[in-house]
Amino acid sequence: MSDLKSLEHPTLKVPYEVLNKKFRTTQKTLDREVSHFQNAVQEFERDISSDVAMTDTSHISSLLSGMVEKLKVLKRKADEGINDELQAGLVCKKRLEHLKEHNSPCEAIVKNWRRRRLDRMLVEYFLRCGYYNSANKLANNSDLNDLTNIDLFMISKEVEHSLENHETSKCLAWCHDNRSKLRKLRSTMEFNLRIQEFVELVRQDKRLDAVRHARKYISTFEDTRMEEVQQCMVLLAFPTDTEISPYKDMFDETRWQKLIEQFRLENYKLYQLSSQSVFTVVLQAGLSALKTPQCYSDIKEARNISCPVCQEWFNTLAKPLPFAHCSQSRLFCSISGLPLNEHNIPMVLPNGYVYGEQALVEMSNQNNGQVICPKTKEVYWLKQAEKVYVM
Amino acid sequence: MDACLAVDREVDKVLSRFEDMSKSYNVVLQQLIDSLEIIQNDWQNNAIKDENKMSSINDISNLIYKSKEKTQQLAIEHRELHSTVSKVGKAIDRNFVSDFDATCKEDIFDEPKNATLLNYIICQHFYRQGNLDIADELVMESGIVLEPSIREPFAKLKHIKESLINKNIYPALEWAKENRAVLDTQMYPPYPLVKRISSASNLPIRIPYHAKRTKFSGGIMKPRPKTKKIKRMELAKKILQQFYKSSALEFKLHQLAFLSIIQKGVEHQTEAVAYARANFSQFVDKYEKEIQTMMGMLLFIPQGINKSPYSDMVQENMWDEVIELFTRDACTLLGLSFDSLLNVSVNAGCAALPALLNIKHVMTQRKVNNIWKGKDELPIEIDLDVEHRYHSMFACPILRQQSSDTNPPMRLICGHIISKDALHKLGSSTKLKCPYCPMEQSSSEAKHICF
Repeated sequence: MSDLKSLEHPTLKVPYEVLNKKFRTTQKTLDREVSHFQNAVQEFERDISSDVAMTDTSHISSLLSGMVEKLKVLKRKADEGINDELQAGLVCKKRLEHLKEHNSPCEAIVKNWRRRRLDRMLVEYFLRCGYYNSANKLANNSDLNDLTNIDLFMISKEVEHSLENHETSKCLAWCHDNRSKLRKLRSTMEFNLRIQEFVELVRQDKRLDAVRHARKYISTFEDTRMEEVQQCMVLLAFPTDTEISPYKDMFDETRWQKLIEQFRLENYKLYQLSSQSVFTVVLQAGLSALKTPQCYSDIKEARNISCPVCQEWFNTLAKPLPFAHCSQSRLFCSISGLPLNEHNIPMVLPNGYVYGEQALVEMSNQNNGQVICPKTKEVYWLKQAEKVYVM
Repeated sequence: MDACLAVDREVDKVLSRFEDMSKSYNVVLQQLIDSLEIIQNDWQNNAIKDENKMSSINDISNLIYKSKEKTQQLAIEHRELHSTVSKVGKAIDRNFVSDFDATCKEDIFDEPKNATLLNYIICQHFYRQGNLDIADELVMESGIVLEPSIREPFAKLKHIKESLINKNIYPALEWAKENRAVLDTQMYPPYPLVKRISSASNLPIRIPYHAKRTKFSGGIMKPRPKTKKIKRMELAKKILQQFYKSSALEFKLHQLAFLSIIQKGVEHQTEAVAYARANFSQFVDKYEKEIQTMMGMLLFIPQGINKSPYSDMVQENMWDEVIELFTRDACTLLGLSFDSLLNVSVNAGCAALPALLNIKHVMTQRKVNNIWKGKDELPIEIDLDVEHRYHSMFACPILRQQSSDTNPPMRLICGHIISKDALHKLGSSTKLKCPYCPMEQSSSEAKHICF
């Protein structure tokens, strides 16, 4: 399995979902416009068969112009729709082209690609955290607007914003927009919104309006969510500052926050985004793979400044994560950084520190056979170093 | 890659079919509209004689019959494209993994404390990338508090680096002079892998352990003469200085300046000599050879350095080398690693995740899912690149366990290494046979070693 395969699902799936949605809306418009045209045609045919038409030229002319008009609208809508679909398809295509660069034989391109991959992940992470300006800036800086799902999140930003201001209209419009999909996901978004509207009406002491509202919108949910509906209707009987739970909780302002959370999750589901961002998933895997007991060793010397997990911030972050697995020794000479193996035999100095033969020989050549342990600063003769055998 | 190609094929199909459809229907519908409009015009202007009305209506009937058919066809054909479109989705689902988060613990980074840390890390990443504005924006939006002292040096370094890229050495030279005292004490190992290796520790030089061991002479310990101790310290210092090199940045910058003067041609040679006199003498004990080479170049100014034996001294990569040198020095001074740690971790994660997903998949299939959950170690070994290995890992060849502070590697007299736990398991008797060779020894003779 390659890293492309395991990481890029959301990169492609989201534009596909957009394409699919565009396809369905275009189909709907086409069907509607075709039927409008057919209606015009039917009217024409009906009038033609009667004798009125033969005498009344202007009537026929107006019928004709009506048909032409309908046909023109149909053509325009079809053009627009198909164009939209093509655009959505091209976004998919563009992302695929970008992903293909991953396998480029040129090292510089791959390096650049990796840098941009990190930026893409960060953009998505920012968006999920709600740092929209940072996301925008980064996307503009690295030219990632087409490669990240920034548009999707910008739409959700508006909805979230309106929910924060205790407005439901935008979110309801969103529910309406994606009704069929949400139904498939068994979403409770719309229901919860309606309940919240009801609660707000009660809070403003417009209890009759609340009843009317409930009759209009909430009654449709009665068969599936009876209990919650009942609970909600009980609110009519209580003052808004009631201390009785669960009714007290229903008046709680934090319910809006919960709605925002729910909206976010449902929006992710709608586009098949996972609830975790790629960035955090990858970072966890990476820190685990790099985490060694030495990174948490009490001996300061064991830590390596180039190792992420040895750095203070990462160190704390990685604490709950599992260590890397190691059943085969992997040894390196800490002077040269070269692996210790049969070409670079590990040698132990009398103080117990092990270094590679190559580095020790090189050091002793410069100093008439003497070497120094860079960790403890002790001086030895090279011949004091002894070979060790690691299986 | 195959995954990409498979999806690519489906996307191409969608694109070409939508394009075809758009083209063909554009033409057909336009024709129908045009012919209907002509007739409509005729009727409107009363240009049709009564006897022709019947045939005209017939024409119209034909036309609208045709348009009816065509429009219906359009709707139907468009609907048929649905299978092509949904094939894209299926290809994506088949070729890419949707539940890539299966391996991770969900809420680790959600905790406010950890989220803040993560934001610190991201900020620092952008600072060192030189994208100060993005980091600033993030600080504002996330509401984290970063001390200004963290940001400050990066702004300066960014400026210096940019000037270096534009072939202006002076800001860098000034920086090197300012920090000369610190740069001179740096100890870099003489290997090209500078990025990965930490420089020698800054521990004070100690008297070697074996030198301290004094012989007993008649029960009275004689103190060692002090001069010997000082001598040893000097020796240690000398060896370190010989082997580890301090930063060459300042010299290299002067070198670049000199080379750029020399390349201007003969008329600037007095300037070059003056520059050399003013600046090179201070480096003579460390870089004698290099200075000799550069002065040698003066001979070849008339022919042009490019055609001289020194042509490789004026390559473009001299600049890249200096930029790299500067980055290394700047990072060392700030106590940072050469590469962005975030970059390193994410790249490691990208390499590790596929393997983890694979094993997770297998575990789910075999219904041994819970084995992983409780463990504090990944279930498999992740094969990272050599450059991602920062620590020597010793796994006991007997117990197959990683060594730790409490279970360190021990060296038997024969040179074989096993872990302390394994040593204890082999028995505490005085006669212990090495598991790998016939040598017999006492377990107390094994020595603790350190990689």
